[in-house]
Amino acid sequence: MSGDRVTRAPRRRGALLLASIVPLFAAGCGKQDVLDPHSHPERKISTLCWVMMTGAWIGFALVVVLLFLGWARRNRDSLPFGGGERAATALVIALGVAVPILVLSSLFVWSDIFVIRATDAPARGSTRLTVRVVGHQWWWEIKYPGTAAVTANELHIPVGTRVRVEGTTADVIHSLWVPELNRKVDLVPGREAVLLLDADRAGTYPGQCAEFCGLQHAHMELSVIAQPRPQFRAWLAKESKPARGSMPGAFAEETCSSCHEIRGTDARGQVGPDLTHFGSRTTLGAGVLPNDPENLREWIRDPQHPKPGNRMPALPLSDADVRALASYLEGLK
Amino acid sequence: MSADAARIDRSRAAKPNGWWGMAVFVATEATLFGTLVGTYFYLEFTNPQWPPPGIPDPKVLAPLLLTAALVATSVPVQVAYSAARRDRVRLAQLALVVALVVQAVYLALQLHLFLDDLDTFSPNASAYASIYFTLVGAHHFHVVVGMLLEAWLVVRLVTGLTRYRLVGLQATAFYWHFVNVLAVVVLLTQISPAL
Amino acid sequence: MAVDVLTPGAEQRIERLHRVWRPRPGVLGWLTTVDHKRIGLLYFFTTLAFFGAGGIEALLMRTQLAGPDLNVVGPETYDQLMTMHGVTMIFFFIIPMTTGAFGNYLVPLMIGARDMAFPRLNALSYWIFLGSGIFIYVGLFMHRAPNCGWFCYTPLNRRAFDPGPNVDFYALGLIFNSIASTATALNFIVTIFKLRAPGMSLNRMPLFIFAMLAVSLSLIFALPSLTADLVYLELQRKGGFHFFDVAHGGDAFLWQHLFWLFGHPEVYIIVLPAFGIATSIIPTFSKRRMIAFPLVALAELLVAFIGFGVWAHHMFATGLPTITLVAFAAASMMVVIPSTIQVFAWTFTVVLGRPEFRAPLLFIGGFIVFFVLGGLSGIMFAAIPFDQATTDTYFVVAHFHFIIFGAAVFPILGGMYYWFPKVTGRLYHERAAQISFWLTFFGTALTFFPMHIVGLLGMTRRVYTYKPHLGWDAYNLSETIGSFILAAGLLLIFANLVWSRFRGAPSGPDPFRGGTLEWATSSPPPEYNFAVIPKVTSPYPNWDPADREDDARRLQAGTLVLEEGHETPAVTVRDGYLDEVLRMPAESPWPVVVGLGVALIFTMLLLSHFVLASVAAGLTLFALAGWHLQEPELE
Repeated sequence: MSGDRVTRAPRRRGALLLASIVPLFAAGCGKQDVLDPHSHPERKISTLCWVMMTGAWIGFALVVVLLFLGWARRNRDSLPFGGGERAATALVIALGVAVPILVLSSLFVWSDIFVIRATDAPARGSTRLTVRVVGHQWWWEIKYPGTAAVTANELHIPVGTRVRVEGTTADVIHSLWVPELNRKVDLVPGREAVLLLDADRAGTYPGQCAEFCGLQHAHMELSVIAQPRPQFRAWLAKESKPARGSMPGAFAEETCSSCHEIRGTDARGQVGPDLTHFGSRTTLGAGVLPNDPENLREWIRDPQHPKPGNRMPALPLSDADVRALASYLEGLK
Repeated sequence: MSADAARIDRSRAAKPNGWWGMAVFVATEATLFGTLVGTYFYLEFTNPQWPPPGIPDPKVLAPLLLTAALVATSVPVQVAYSAARRDRVRLAQLALVVALVVQAVYLALQLHLFLDDLDTFSPNASAYASIYFTLVGAHHFHVVVGMLLEAWLVVRLVTGLTRYRLVGLQATAFYWHFVNVLAVVVLLTQISPAL
Repeated sequence: MAVDVLTPGAEQRIERLHRVWRPRPGVLGWLTTVDHKRIGLLYFFTTLAFFGAGGIEALLMRTQLAGPDLNVVGPETYDQLMTMHGVTMIFFFIIPMTTGAFGNYLVPLMIGARDMAFPRLNALSYWIFLGSGIFIYVGLFMHRAPNCGWFCYTPLNRRAFDPGPNVDFYALGLIFNSIASTATALNFIVTIFKLRAPGMSLNRMPLFIFAMLAVSLSLIFALPSLTADLVYLELQRKGGFHFFDVAHGGDAFLWQHLFWLFGHPEVYIIVLPAFGIATSIIPTFSKRRMIAFPLVALAELLVAFIGFGVWAHHMFATGLPTITLVAFAAASMMVVIPSTIQVFAWTFTVVLGRPEFRAPLLFIGGFIVFFVLGGLSGIMFAAIPFDQATTDTYFVVAHFHFIIFGAAVFPILGGMYYWFPKVTGRLYHERAAQISFWLTFFGTALTFFPMHIVGLLGMTRRVYTYKPHLGWDAYNLSETIGSFILAAGLLLIFANLVWSRFRGAPSGPDPFRGGTLEWATSSPPPEYNFAVIPKVTSPYPNWDPADREDDARRLQAGTLVLEEGHETPAVTVRDGYLDEVLRMPAESPWPVVVGLGVALIFTMLLLSHFVLASVAAGLTLFALAGWHLQEPELE
């Protein structure tokens, strides 16, 4: 009996890990569509948007109709239902002062007093999980306080769970934005930004930096991956573990370790992203290329080609070294 | 010619264009200083300690006395304009020279304090020092400009009074009254941590 | 007043005016001019050149973004293009075009004056504007143009993150430029207050003048905030000061607050002169006075005033306290009201009148359509959660381009057609003008409307490229196509104007029967604007035939002809009673010399040669002394 239990546990974990990938493919790559909400705050924003757009189209139509009337009645100098300058002045005041005051007051109360409660920062202690994000030029550092897990550019969260994201920046102002999950919040030096993430379905929710932060602002993608809670726990546990496998000599010789950390080895650089479980990430270079061996070799050979201006220099490496490094990194699952 | 200029000045119902021009210029400079003063207090509110540790509280007595002397020069400057309005050109020049002398002494002593401060705390070390020297320095710069205006008028009045020079004198007097009000505002801001 | 038959007495007076006001010939005449009309024309052509530059920058950007992952330009070049596009269009096109070109040319004419209050200062404004434009564009030619975005946030603007001279070109260039705008604004305020024709009390000023007054007051109170911010930036970059960095007690938001304290009034500065042009064209082509005239005049001033209280709505996503955001959202909604008043006043004037939809009125129609569209998306941003979702996306880019292009540039284009006969004495080609309108209108709509959609689909601003899987490709391609159609429309407009300049039919003084005073003199106006200072008893003086006949009588009698020298009357501020006769300067070399001196100062500052900068300052002071040695009444 005890033997059975021993052998079943690793298989279950493996099955869970496998199962976690299925929802990713089911949801597809995901979009950054503000009007396709997958969370409570984003639903509020989306509804707000639809209502305002409807009102806007009505207002716009009114003015277009008036202009059309101006043209259609260009040979008459009175209003359609009779009335001259005094009636027109009264209409200017009604439509230009009274109606806007009514409409705007209603909009103000609804959006800036009620809806804002859903999109505001969650109070401390009101969420089950806290994640810390630090923006860098041009990648996202992600930490899970209370664990040893450190990763980059992929933010895993459990589905249907309120997650408090605390963010700041290591250099310039960035802005954290996952359009289908919530509004954006700027990451400002010396300040802590707080954002609520709460996905109601499993899937991948893409986002990207939304404040111009220099040369590669366009290639600073953040993927939020919402997993069922058991899968998330498994992922977090795996992510907290140190790396396995033997590091090729090239890694230390070519000063990779001066910028990158691989927990469990002597590589402890803090300049670039943590690479401990790099092999399990779906993209490299913060979304600039899908993470597969060929792209990784291309990246290692010349990082400046797909992402010109980024902080990783092109180092003179032999083909053999490139292959060794790439296969080592892909093995860091 | 001088008499004509003075007469025309007195017969105007509205302020002359040059006065209005100076009024608008004063408005921009006042807004600029409002921004500088606003920056000072904004940075104070975002800093836990002000001045930051290691920087002494600002001196109070010397700046206060010097500012009082500067503000007092509004009197001779206004006298200069009133005299010129009545075609008393030499009196106007004398009043301007009196103002210039006091302002020169003021400036020399203020510059001495300024350099002294620079030796004590550097704008390269803190936001406090950065806004302090920018604000106080901008004020001294405006004093220098005012003195140049007065000196120019003293020289021009040698060959007599014209409408142009009289309006220039009126505008300069306005400028100085503004600079003196500004001096009080800057002083209060500068010494506020010690109050 | 266009008098058909002149009496011998009147002819003699006009002959004397011609002699007194005859301009210096040749290039020297243009370099030393202080005539507001010549300065207006200098501004016009210079700003058109910058418009072209900004347009090419836009077309290059749109080409790069026509499809995903393109490589037409790399990120560094793209960042310079997008920054220069914004800086050029705002500081070197729109503001100098509306104030420097339209304002300078038209304000003295519309108020019945012979020039601005400070003609030499006016010339200096132009030379400084030109100098600042060349200054910044030297940066572009060196491939070191500003590359931080037109609002150049800190810390990105610090030497640590942008070490080259790019940001220094930006900061020093804009301080340099702001001197010109401040001087122009100052000139307008004093001119509008003091140089109106006797009888033009404040409440009889044309709406265009109210708009120019509002713009000028806004410039005076908004620019210092930007100037201070830029001075802090340069002190930080070149002097090692600490205003913005947290480590030494500074604050990153200080930059943003000061920038937007300028930046929001700036957008009203951009749009107010357009309102002024619209309120000039609408009554003329609707053949009636503006509905609710006092409300419209008041609204123009209110928009400028309330616009100073809303700046932090550009910072809704920065993490400021919620109560602060809510306060600014409320203020932002208040500023809508003066705009809606105006929209309906304009529209009902057209409905109530008998509009003739010639090209100028078509452009104003397009202006109203786009202003309402852009204004409505602007109102949506007052809903804070929506703003926090869509700020920094192409939704914002759509909003402000409909306002800036649709609501500010369309009146400029309409105004070019409207006042073309006044400036050149010829009529533009009407048919081609109408086609040019539709082409430009359609191009504008196709370029900017899809940006709303692609912004809601998550496309952020200031990206030099994008990935294909996000569904943005087709919209971006449409926008690019639209931008080239728009460019074609603009080219057609200019082709029409150039052709008509040489081959257009003579227009006479008043081809459209306009109500304001510029139509009461010949086309083009003589150097002295009016042979006799006009009598004014209403805001539409050219629709008062009795007053215009009175002008003819006074010309004969020599009352307020003022032909002794360069003379124009000054009045009391509120009621417009005649107060004195002013002597104005003739040509002067000092403005261009002082302009050169100032350019030298800024160049030395850019190169960090502070001693040489002081020397340049000294030389400039000498030039200023020369300037004031030249007293108009002694000429």
